[in-house]
Amino acid sequence: MSSSVTDRRNPARPALAGFLLRRLGTSVLLLVGVTIVTFLLTNLVPGDPVTAALGEGPARNPATREAFIRAHGLDQPLWTQYGLYVANLLHGDLGTSLSTGRPVTTDLATAIPATLELAIASIIVSLAVALVLGTVAAYRRGLVADQVVRVVSLVGLSIPTFWMALVAFYVFFLQLRIAPGSGRLSPALTPPPRVTGMYTIDFLLNGDGVGFVDALAHMALPVLVLSLFTIGLLTRFIRTSVLEVLDSDYVRAARAKGLGGGRIVLDYVLRGAALPILTVVGIAFGTLLSGTVLVESVYSWPGLGTYAYTAARNLDLPGIMGVGLVVGLIYLVINLVVDVLYAALDPRVRLA
Amino acid sequence: MHSRNRIIGVASAGVVAALALAGCSGGNSAPENQNSSLTIDSGFTIETADPGHSYDPTGNMLAKALYETLVDFEGSDVSTPVPGLASWEQNDDATEFTFTLEDGRTFSDGTPVEAKDVVFSLGRIQAMTDAKPNFLLAGITIEQVDDQTISFSSDSPMLQLPAILANPALGILNSDVVAEHGGTGGADDSAQSWLDENSAGSGPYVLDSLDLTSQIVLSANEDYTGPEEPAYSRVVIRNVTESATQLINLQGGDTDVALDLNGDQVGELGDGFTVNSVPSGSTIFLLVNQDPAIGGPTANTDFAAAVRYGLDYDGLLELAGTGSVEATGVIPPGYAGALDEGVSQDLDAAKAALAASGYAGQTVTLSFPNDYPVGGVDFTSVAERVQSQLEGIGVNVELAPAPFATELDAYVGGTEAFGLWFWGPDYADSANFLPFAPGLTVGLRSGWTAEDAPELSQLAADAYAASTVDERNALFTEFATKMQESGPFIPLIVPGSNIATSDAVTGAAYNSVWTLDIAELSPAS
Repeated sequence: MSSSVTDRRNPARPALAGFLLRRLGTSVLLLVGVTIVTFLLTNLVPGDPVTAALGEGPARNPATREAFIRAHGLDQPLWTQYGLYVANLLHGDLGTSLSTGRPVTTDLATAIPATLELAIASIIVSLAVALVLGTVAAYRRGLVADQVVRVVSLVGLSIPTFWMALVAFYVFFLQLRIAPGSGRLSPALTPPPRVTGMYTIDFLLNGDGVGFVDALAHMALPVLVLSLFTIGLLTRFIRTSVLEVLDSDYVRAARAKGLGGGRIVLDYVLRGAALPILTVVGIAFGTLLSGTVLVESVYSWPGLGTYAYTAARNLDLPGIMGVGLVVGLIYLVINLVVDVLYAALDPRVRLA
Repeated sequence: MHSRNRIIGVASAGVVAALALAGCSGGNSAPENQNSSLTIDSGFTIETADPGHSYDPTGNMLAKALYETLVDFEGSDVSTPVPGLASWEQNDDATEFTFTLEDGRTFSDGTPVEAKDVVFSLGRIQAMTDAKPNFLLAGITIEQVDDQTISFSSDSPMLQLPAILANPALGILNSDVVAEHGGTGGADDSAQSWLDENSAGSGPYVLDSLDLTSQIVLSANEDYTGPEEPAYSRVVIRNVTESATQLINLQGGDTDVALDLNGDQVGELGDGFTVNSVPSGSTIFLLVNQDPAIGGPTANTDFAAAVRYGLDYDGLLELAGTGSVEATGVIPPGYAGALDEGVSQDLDAAKAALAASGYAGQTVTLSFPNDYPVGGVDFTSVAERVQSQLEGIGVNVELAPAPFATELDAYVGGTEAFGLWFWGPDYADSANFLPFAPGLTVGLRSGWTAEDAPELSQLAADAYAASTVDERNALFTEFATKMQESGPFIPLIVPGSNIATSDAVTGAAYNSVWTLDIAELSPAS
């Protein structure tokens, strides 16, 4: 009885469930594709991972060399290695990193929260700023405000991140002395007991105010630099989307009804422009999670980008595979979430 | 509308709660006595804090602080091994060394350092074939004589043994403590994970925490009994991979020591900073492959001679920063047998050698790693200058840069016709440079076999087998001299190593084995 009542209230629910299942199925297939591509690519790279991992001296020692090859299964044929990799993967085992000697899952469990912390803060800041800038630019189309926003957006998109990161560090830390040095925490402080791996949250959970403020301060510059690019990207899209909605009949109707400007922006304009904005926010978040290597490098942030760079530099095949898989997964999840939100926001999508 | 208000309400409460928590103090309190702590910035190359498994620069620096070795070096001088935990004597043919432990030396738990600990620690490395430092002790028999005495013996002379034993990877562990945590001293030894979280040595510092990606924290060993008292109660070694970031951190007072500044960056430091610049133990060199199947028309010593005399070494040295010097041979300065003078440019000799080589204007491909600066020296700039200088004697060079990890295979496999590489010693002894000889490791990488140069091959064998220091040093000098006269190698630059500190810190000295002995640092008075 209750179920039929629910169904009557939400006739689209079975359609949404089917839609979700279809998307999940595609995602799994895509993930298998990602493992094959990363496995083949990493094995196609010329070079000897044993010498790269052991160093020249130890690699010349036949006993050490052989022990390393056996321990990492590098003496097996390529297809056996792949089969073993996939079998282990099903148990959540991504293998042992050749450069750190630890399970890749352990390495990633440390690196991902560090990057996630930056990415979440950056996307929140970027979205908040870009919503204001994009909406103002659309409302003031062709006027001075629009031109100013255009310049800000172009600057954000075109300045090289690495350079911007160094300049921001030089100016705000060294010259103005209003930002802390590199890393996630001042050297005098002790990291919080691990719960989420995100220092700010873990400090809060531990009730450590000094640590929380210090961790937050250390995030300021990397978030600022990452946000500049994302603000540039989002502002352009938001301006275009808002402009399209502003010309629509229902917004004119709302104005004609005499509704207040703020109410129109929030309830009519931004809601109408939400779908295209959602897509680009998803893409931007994926980029933030997977493409922060340069910013992480300048600010000595031990995140996913740094891990990917170190793994690639050391020909650490399991490490590279792990990062490839995680990045693939990030985009799959983001796309899935965006699709689901689309479907939730617009019934036409889920019925299509 | 109500729901929006509720969301705003919840969010506000969250912010207030966060600010309230920020006001209270849980785990950390505001830092007080900055003088008692030291911060060091370095680009990490480390896998473990277990010295028995460690063989990388950061690992060596850490092991040097936590553990002590039988033999030591003072400051930057790696030419003269001095007693560490022990003093030693050798037999006449240098096949047996007897080490006697100093009296009164204890581990951080207060128990004495004994011969059984030495035999356990070094025997453990010999038994663990997967241990990187395993090769350092190959062919050596280690036996306990009594509580204070250990004997090392080998079938062949081993004058390099004291220098080998100064390697921090061969630090002495507290055998009783390690045995309690999985240390069997055999192939099944599983103490590494415990040693990654704790230390069991007699060094001036003990391990507080190790995070391989961000920082290592040490604290002073309160029960230290050796000659290098720890001057800081807490030391933080941070992973800062960008040298530009290290520079700004140092200038801004966020760190006290920067280990990876290049020559140009050192020049930017004004007053208030001290820089220790010395040549590193590494040599950047060119190799000309002698295997005709690989090198084709350039596979001969005449072509190598043309390159040797065609280059302007001062011009190349300009590309390296403070502390760098011209390479005077395959043995770098500071090591026995190093030559005082390098080769000078002689264009006539170069052109004559080129004519004799049979080279007829073919394009020669120069392979090198383009993402692996050594001592701040960028290989791409060096390769470009070599290209332009060789153009002056009529050699057409094409540059083939590649990432280090991928190009290394071709270099090690001896398949590069013309390469730009570097060589650093595994331990501080000139025997480390004998692999440049024909038929040995580096020689073979340039397709140079023992049959190609039997006299040089014999010279290297004689140096390995020498049983007195004087005889051996004379052979090293002769080897280095002959290698400069003929052969496939053209040593170019010995890059400098710079350790920059704020003036609040004193005592920093670069050492080519362990980079920095942290215990040598102290607050400036």
